[in-house]
Amino acid sequence: MNEEVTSIGGSVCNEKLSAGLIFAEGQNLTHQNKEALWEIFEAIGFSWSNTIYNSNNQRSSWYEMLKAKTENAPNYTGEYVNAIYVIDELKAMYGKEDAYKKLFFESNIDNSAPPTTRLAHCKVYVVNEFIRMQITAGGFKSWGTKYGGEQAKNYHGFLGGTRYNRISKVRAYNPDSNNLKNE
Amino acid sequence: MKNQFDYIIVGGGVAAATIAKGLLEHKHDTSILILEAGPEIIAKDRRFWWDYITRGERPYTFTYDQKFEANSTGNIDYQTDGVRVKAYGGSTMHWGAWSLRFRPEDFNLFTNTGEGADWPINYEDLETYYNDAEAYLSVCGDDSANWVPRSKPYPVPPFEWTAADGEMIKAWEQLDVVYQDGDINPGKKSKIKSGKMPVARYRKCMTTGTCKYCPIGGRFNAQYVLDDLKEDSRFINFEVRVNSPVHKVNTSSKSKIESVTYTDNINGKEHTITGDTIILASGAYNVPKLLRASKNEFWENGIGNDYDLVGRFVVSHSMLNVVGKAQSNPNGWFQEYDFPTLMSHSYNTKEHQKKGKIFMFKNRTTPNVDIAQLMIDGKTREEIDEIVYGEMTVNIQAFLEEKGKHSNRLEAKPGKDRFGLPQTTVHFSRTEEEMKNANDRLKLLEQIIEKMGLEIISSRVDKPGGHHTTGTARMGTSPENSVADKFMKVHDTDNLYICSNAAFPTGSAVNPTLTLTAMAFRLVDHFIKKKQN
Repeated sequence: MNEEVTSIGGSVCNEKLSAGLIFAEGQNLTHQNKEALWEIFEAIGFSWSNTIYNSNNQRSSWYEMLKAKTENAPNYTGEYVNAIYVIDELKAMYGKEDAYKKLFFESNIDNSAPPTTRLAHCKVYVVNEFIRMQITAGGFKSWGTKYGGEQAKNYHGFLGGTRYNRISKVRAYNPDSNNLKNE
Repeated sequence: MKNQFDYIIVGGGVAAATIAKGLLEHKHDTSILILEAGPEIIAKDRRFWWDYITRGERPYTFTYDQKFEANSTGNIDYQTDGVRVKAYGGSTMHWGAWSLRFRPEDFNLFTNTGEGADWPINYEDLETYYNDAEAYLSVCGDDSANWVPRSKPYPVPPFEWTAADGEMIKAWEQLDVVYQDGDINPGKKSKIKSGKMPVARYRKCMTTGTCKYCPIGGRFNAQYVLDDLKEDSRFINFEVRVNSPVHKVNTSSKSKIESVTYTDNINGKEHTITGDTIILASGAYNVPKLLRASKNEFWENGIGNDYDLVGRFVVSHSMLNVVGKAQSNPNGWFQEYDFPTLMSHSYNTKEHQKKGKIFMFKNRTTPNVDIAQLMIDGKTREEIDEIVYGEMTVNIQAFLEEKGKHSNRLEAKPGKDRFGLPQTTVHFSRTEEEMKNANDRLKLLEQIIEKMGLEIISSRVDKPGGHHTTGTARMGTSPENSVADKFMKVHDTDNLYICSNAAFPTGSAVNPTLTLTAMAFRLVDHFIKKKQN
């Protein structure tokens, strides 16, 4: 079990919970809940500078995931509400900017262990899954160009563009210009 | 519940779907029952897909053989766990959709090398059915490739090579791998041109690279075909029963197969269903086990097993693997498709048959960096940049053709698996010569990695496994050398057929599913002609 002693958060974050999904059958997310969760998602893009403009072009994908995870079993509503409690406490303690910094970079949560605190639940079931979704939906594109390379176009899970092949869907091999950076 | 059908098909994968579709489209009121041991797991489900993306979970993996359900003996471990999906749709639930034809010499392995076996048919007998199979699976491929003779173009254009393929392409060219003298036109020194991997995709493929669970049905899955057949109001006598493991084939005489007996896993009740024609399409594991379990006064050692050949001649692909490392990755390359796009058939030719042909391809997952995991682990942008543009690994792989040996055998072991099927033991050994040949082939892959200017960090011959198992109830010319005839009918029976990789006498160096699908088309044709006569 994840017996981490967290160095962040207060009584809410460190409250013990069982590792399974927090029970929430029959509950629904409110509009305010969704807006609070969206703030977590947006904070990912700010923290890693990996959205081209902002996160809004990922909103429909993010919302579809949220819907799929709250309207089908096993229901994530309890996890999402818990994440809001956790982030509220972190913001109250550290202020908004530092709250996310601590959550993303300083939580000391073991991501591979079963989560046994509210903070660990927030990190494992919400933050980590939002990160995977964010990268899949376009966050990956910000890697590739640092040394003048071509921007990445595709990634595991990315649904982009048309299904026709008129426009290259990947950074494609071009015998004339390929690999110049490696020479 | 209906208990008599024109055709009973055991197994619910691509072979079953292809046969059922062909027969029903020919004659709409044909009565067909498919009996699938596994459950139905929904495809194209958005929640399942999101769980795959965010948690790496796939909904069908619980059906894989567990260690306790399938083990092996011999001088090398045979991977039997985690390779087969036991569910409605079969292993097309998780396949990579690589769709390659066997080459002409694959049908004459014994004649050419004195080892393994010949098929009772030639490539030419199957060529038009390959066309049918490629159209049906929507295979994308390169029409200018000439590594195998073909009479029709591919139905869908190929995926392009990725930028990350470029370094390997250059190395192949320098080593004369891409183009090499072959035997397509013997004596004319024709060059083999290959390169772009043929993949079974529907036209709606969005290249998500999540082929192991496609969110939109862009990658062929037999389940889609079976669903369409069930929903088609013309096919009023078509039925699929899932959770229904068949454990015996029953006969009324030596030649007349009468029925099959299965258990309904939901209520535990046993049912016997009669059929005019019975087709075993449940894969190279279950077909031999079912034949051997079907003992009676006419077949004391199991149906088709008078010469103790059922389950023998296990053929597997062994994977060769070489990984190289570059000091930097200034382009920030990672694998954008998550399926391979670059391949070579230079060593998949007749002259390499004796030693063991190989089919080479750039690994589908390298170079790669799991950016999300680095973020999850709390790495900062700067730290991730250093990793993404830092050391890069590239992996070249090859399937090595192996030849069926009498001593390599698959059989049932006591006990049933979670789906009511007999558990499995595979007895498999490699000879010293086979190991030497495999290691020689590995050296070619190492040369390629070195030619790319990479440092070799790993080079190995992987253990054999059940992914592409063939040969366990093979076709041939007589009961003395095989289990089934050239139409995959079990010798000395009138109406029991095998439509499975089990019937393949050889496994070639490429993936078997396209050839199995072509064989299913050929079998449908055979049934239709037989009825007409």
